[in-house]
Amino acid sequence: MTTITRPTANSGGMLGSLGRLIAKLYEWHWYVLPPVVGIAMMAMIVGAVVVAPREAVEGQVQRLMYIHVPSAIAAYMAFGVVFVCSLMVLWKRDMRYDAVARGAATVGVLFTALMLATGALWGRPIWGTFWAWDARLTSSLLLFLLYAAYLLARSLADELDEQAARYSAVYAIVAYLDVPIIQMSVRWWRTLHPQPIVMRLPGDQQLPTSMLLVLYAGMIGILLLTTWLIVLRSETERIGARATALRATLDRAEGN
Amino acid sequence: MDYLGYLFAGFAVFWAGLFAYLLWLQARLRQVKRQVELLEERLAASEDNTAAPRATAGRS
Repeated sequence: MTTITRPTANSGGMLGSLGRLIAKLYEWHWYVLPPVVGIAMMAMIVGAVVVAPREAVEGQVQRLMYIHVPSAIAAYMAFGVVFVCSLMVLWKRDMRYDAVARGAATVGVLFTALMLATGALWGRPIWGTFWAWDARLTSSLLLFLLYAAYLLARSLADELDEQAARYSAVYAIVAYLDVPIIQMSVRWWRTLHPQPIVMRLPGDQQLPTSMLLVLYAGMIGILLLTTWLIVLRSETERIGARATALRATLDRAEGN
Repeated sequence: MDYLGYLFAGFAVFWAGLFAYLLWLQARLRQVKRQVELLEERLAASEDNTAAPRATAGRS
């Protein structure tokens, strides 16, 4: 039998502040986030297509970077939310964190798929192939498969099944280990993929400022979009769980 | 060598993926909200049905 516990509203510290911020975003998600996301995404398109300069070696196709890199960052952020919420599921035993984790995992899988697709379309003219089994690409594909498996496993269990939520949380935490491996793969192994341009170390090659500013604008836009999608998806999961609970109550009532 | 075809395809895949996901999400949200409304109505009706015979039995 399932148990749904409610988190304490006055839990202090950083996690309490994070909880309050998430609660505030839930209140705002229909009023503030859609217009802000729309404006940010428009700025991203204009920046990528019009403002950013043409790259001298790769030509116009290099503009795919302005959607490819932010997609990767969005996927990392979404899986980061899954990681934190999975820890909270294990710690607080609150099924609302499980709903957010499932919602964020869907968004993460979406952006990982978009990252892989745009990367393949960028790689074909530049590397001469859509796909290569190098460390960065393979570990990214693995990330997609790991969380697709998480979603599949979670969809087979009841939304209110606390034991399934706990097992899934442990799996999601372990799966997140792939993110630092992806990030470090271009340093640890020789790959076709270029070195990091966002999470750089001192001495790494840097993009020109004009390109970097457009890239940062795109990243802000896509991170806002990711936040909105996670909030919407989590709400869908939460209402779905309520439908399951109501169905169980109705079955008991009609069975009596 | 600008490879505009690949650039166009990349942007098309990105936006098509996002819009398809948003449309699916909107449809799913509407579906679960409708499900909850229907279940609440059925539960209220079921509670009324179980309460009515008890009230009748109490009067007799």
